[in-house]
Amino acid sequence: MNELIRDANLAILFYFLALNSFYALLLVLSIPEIWEQTRLAEDEDFQRLMQSDALPPITILVPAYNEQKTIEASVTAILTLHYRNYEVVVVNDGSKDETLEALRHAFDLYEIPRTYPETIPTKPLRALYRSRTRTKLVVIDKDNGGKADSLNAAINAGRFPLVIAVDADTLIEPDALLRLTRPFLLGRRIAAVGGTVRVANGCVVKHGQVTDARVPHGLLPGIQVVEYLRAFLFGRLGWNRLGGNLIISGAFGLFRKDHVLAIGGYHPTSIVEDLDLVVRLHRYLRSRKVRYEIPFIPDPVAWTEVPESLRVLARQRERWQRGLVAAVWQYRGMLFNPRYGRVGLIAVPFYAFGEMLAPLVEVFGYGITAVGLALGVVNVPFALLFILVAWGYGMLLSLWAVVLEEVSFRRYRRSGDLVRLVLFAMLENFGYRQCGVWWRLRAFFSMGGRKHVWGEMTRRGFETATK
Amino acid sequence: MTARHFLAVVALVQGVLLAALLMLIVLNRWFRLRRRARVHPRRLAVEGVMQRWALGQADVRVVLAQLARLPVSLAVDAIVSWSARVPGDRWRQLASALEREWWARMVRSNSNSARWWKRLETARFLSVAATPADTARVLKLLRDPHPAVHIAAVATLERVENAALATAALERLPHLAPTVSAYYAGMLRRSRAVVVQLLLTRLARADDPALARLAEFAARLQEPALREALTALARHRDPEVRTQVARALGAFPHPASIAALTPLAADARWPVRAQAARSLGMLADPVSLPLLRAALRDPDWWVRMRTGLALTRFGPSGRNALLDAEVGADQNARDMARLVLGLSPQALAEFAA
Repeated sequence: MNELIRDANLAILFYFLALNSFYALLLVLSIPEIWEQTRLAEDEDFQRLMQSDALPPITILVPAYNEQKTIEASVTAILTLHYRNYEVVVVNDGSKDETLEALRHAFDLYEIPRTYPETIPTKPLRALYRSRTRTKLVVIDKDNGGKADSLNAAINAGRFPLVIAVDADTLIEPDALLRLTRPFLLGRRIAAVGGTVRVANGCVVKHGQVTDARVPHGLLPGIQVVEYLRAFLFGRLGWNRLGGNLIISGAFGLFRKDHVLAIGGYHPTSIVEDLDLVVRLHRYLRSRKVRYEIPFIPDPVAWTEVPESLRVLARQRERWQRGLVAAVWQYRGMLFNPRYGRVGLIAVPFYAFGEMLAPLVEVFGYGITAVGLALGVVNVPFALLFILVAWGYGMLLSLWAVVLEEVSFRRYRRSGDLVRLVLFAMLENFGYRQCGVWWRLRAFFSMGGRKHVWGEMTRRGFETATK
Repeated sequence: MTARHFLAVVALVQGVLLAALLMLIVLNRWFRLRRRARVHPRRLAVEGVMQRWALGQADVRVVLAQLARLPVSLAVDAIVSWSARVPGDRWRQLASALEREWWARMVRSNSNSARWWKRLETARFLSVAATPADTARVLKLLRDPHPAVHIAAVATLERVENAALATAALERLPHLAPTVSAYYAGMLRRSRAVVVQLLLTRLARADDPALARLAEFAARLQEPALREALTALARHRDPEVRTQVARALGAFPHPASIAALTPLAADARWPVRAQAARSLGMLADPVSLPLLRAALRDPDWWVRMRTGLALTRFGPSGRNALLDAEVGADQNARDMARLVLGLSPQALAEFAA
């Protein structure tokens, strides 16, 4: 028994050593990447680009469900983006409130016949509208079918070769689309490109735009600011260099429409539709030996509200983990499969054994250490040292994300915000991380549960968030 | 070494790294604040003096003196942002004065740098401050392997008319990704005389694989001298070439354009028909009214839409055609006529743009 506990402890130690070494690799790779991206972002001549008709036309997909109160402001904000050639397709997914009436009233809609083919099957369309006042706007009214189904309906209706899905409650910075198209202007073979999603809680929002970026005072949203910085500024930048970005945020990602159509659009039954879409995109393009890139670029920014209550946060994280487990299981054929190149050999294994299994291993580690301590097999200093190292490493990664933010984009100008960022990076490991592990662990036991249709995020609203 | 020793070493290293990162954060912010405090007044001074110079109230030497006080990258940023706000002749005066500045010479010499960001800085600088003496340098930057560099370099054509540069850019244009190619096209429009001659030669080669791209570019130029070359391509086997020709001919009000557009309006491919309808609307010749009346019954919605919009450009006769279609026998034409007649003037203008 003692041998078993000792061996298990050693195995856990090696697991975390390997996992953390990989994180260290991502960390190192993120340095040249953010440097290059920052240089390109700083040297871009936006005036010249804005005047150029070279920018690829974009269809912005806006799925909406029961957004009666906010839909007019959201769509108006999207219609004022600094981009020359785009259209906005809003999908009213059988809302139970007056979302469609609000749109009809605000934008003077008139019905037009549906003339495009239903390339991706969706729930029946009730009507299609254009606006007399805003020619960039198309509104689809359809039976309720969930977010993925709505996005598919919008993709069918879109005219342009690039599509970007935007949540009705996400604030896109005015020049974000322009920045997001940079890889296309650099002539790269882009299949999809993602931008940064930042936390809007605590920020000052006026007329649908973040005018003053602040770090919230609350512990929960504050730690999520650090989490988002870590996920975007070094996680995804590091993956750029490894060629295997598996996640392009559903709240802010630009895709080539022909590729999305080729893989059948969003999967209506998937739990996390953005992860599922990108994995399928990789699988499709790799199996057909198409040369492509799915990069992340950090300077285009969209702001989103994050949960401020443990209950909502737990639900969100559990759903993300369920989505990850489902995706890994569904696409297990890609695991260690050289046919899928670096995606099959590095990205998918990392997400399977690093991201997906980490909560299981961590809880198992806590358990076995407790048993070992009780039986006297593991001595107390060793256990404390182990925990110290594990938490210290977490702090290092979070602080590194803060460093990257500080040396590159510096959205948080006030010293108070910086202090809070550092503080939250330190505090994350004390309680929050363990809660996260528990929520993610619960996902394994609720896999057969309800399917995701629309997120059930409880929002305070942007304009009220700072009051 | 036991596992415990190993962990102790790792913990120690982590502690040192944590402290180093905290120091880095603090020092970085401190340095930035200090740098900003030092540089910001100089930037404001450059803004002020540039403004006075642009209004003719300051001497160019004062501008040069203030620019030299800025870090080089900020000086380049300043002149790039001001280049769009100062009239051409006056700007050329500054560009030639910059040739003698030490920092501008340094930026120029970076065109041979092994580091792409240095070459990018040079390309940005030359895009607004190149003189005839910089031709070889810009040519080299136009052939740069880093896309950001050659894209910045091609912007030089906005200000410098030079046959060698225009030829190099046009040669590269069809081989670039569509977005980059469109950007090049935008820049090449300024060197019209050279480009038109080159295009006439290239468009005459019917088997040129880059023909669709070149026809697209020719369409953007709207140059009357290219009309004949474009009408000659109206029966080209590549539908993309026909689409571009159909699009281009709308800019040439000439009977030959109508004659070339007539078969294109009945093309087997809907994008060709849609562009032909749009162009016929732009030309608004009453001869093409019957053709457009018929096109309003096209099986493709976009062709009908473009036709409906085209008819609105014919004045009362086009409106009558739409009113007739609104009560006509064809359901598709009825729906489209109703839709177009219901559009606001603003919507019509936006569709036409």
